[in-house]
Amino acid sequence: MFRITLFLLVFAATAVQAQIALTVTPLSREQVTAFYTARGFSAVAIAPYTQACVLSFSLRNDGRTALRLRLADWRAEDGTRFRPLADWDTAWEKDGLPQAARIAFRWAQFPPEQEFDPGDWIMGMTALERRIAGPFRVVARYADEKGSHELLTNAIACAD
Amino acid sequence: MNFLPTPLPAPIERRRALRMLAGLALAPLVARAQSGGMTAVAGLPPAPPLTLIDLDDRKIDLASLRGRIVLVNFWATWCPPCRKEFPSLGRLQKLFPPAKLTVLAVNVGEDADDVFSFAGATNFPVLLDKDSGAMKRWPVKGLPTTYVVDKAGRLALRAVGGRDFDDPVIVAQLKELLK
Repeated sequence: MFRITLFLLVFAATAVQAQIALTVTPLSREQVTAFYTARGFSAVAIAPYTQACVLSFSLRNDGRTALRLRLADWRAEDGTRFRPLADWDTAWEKDGLPQAARIAFRWAQFPPEQEFDPGDWIMGMTALERRIAGPFRVVARYADEKGSHELLTNAIACAD
Repeated sequence: MNFLPTPLPAPIERRRALRMLAGLALAPLVARAQSGGMTAVAGLPPAPPLTLIDLDDRKIDLASLRGRIVLVNFWATWCPPCRKEFPSLGRLQKLFPPAKLTVLAVNVGEDADDVFSFAGATNFPVLLDKDSGAMKRWPVKGLPTTYVVDKAGRLALRAVGGRDFDDPVIVAQLKELLK
């Protein structure tokens, strides 16, 4: 029983509120390394990203009104934020990474800002500014015509 | 995104397990999320310029297609919902003569060999936006994103995330634009 619980804990968490569904899936270093080395990164080059606790987000708007979000407003429950995409791109440029690799990285990330009309959904990766030891929950903010809202996921943990 | 890992120097069984876990996490979500219509774009802004080379080295200019409806799909081979919806672009094109509705699939950042190995021979142009310059000029924040350009060259419909483009709801929306 303990093993099953632990598996679910690190595998994915979904939060649903007013027909907005957010799924968070921790990705292992091996998974992330495999993806980016197939797209022009060396394992060494992508290591800072893989070591930072990479999460896959999927957000879907099944509601009737548009919603807006900014990833800069999202955080782990302890306040840890997600490292901005622009920071990564600056690092990749400094490292002299090929343009194709940088383009793949940029578009594989969860959008820094997005407007979701009803029926829209999007997926993407992002990394925490630092790894968190143990379980944590993600606080995701979004806004619609009624104001600002928060989604709180179940507990997940960084994958190894 | 939950991208399936490509081979690492790891035992085959482990790689299979990784793929299976990633697939399990993603599959129900992608399968569920492909249906639905497109959203009207407020204000009908003019479509940004789009001139790119296709897989057959032909130069395609969106401006030259004025007078017909054009469905512009931004995608990449490594994007799971893009892969899932891609066949529906071909099915949609079969429903309309190209002189009335043309599908353009704009691949971002990949080379022709990689794109062709996935897309194969298609009944619509597959354009190569190698430096993502075209995509940056369009209001695209994530993949896949699709716009429908009306006969007057304006952005009329938008879809963020995967769709089945031959879904009756979308086909009805496109027929409405053709009136």
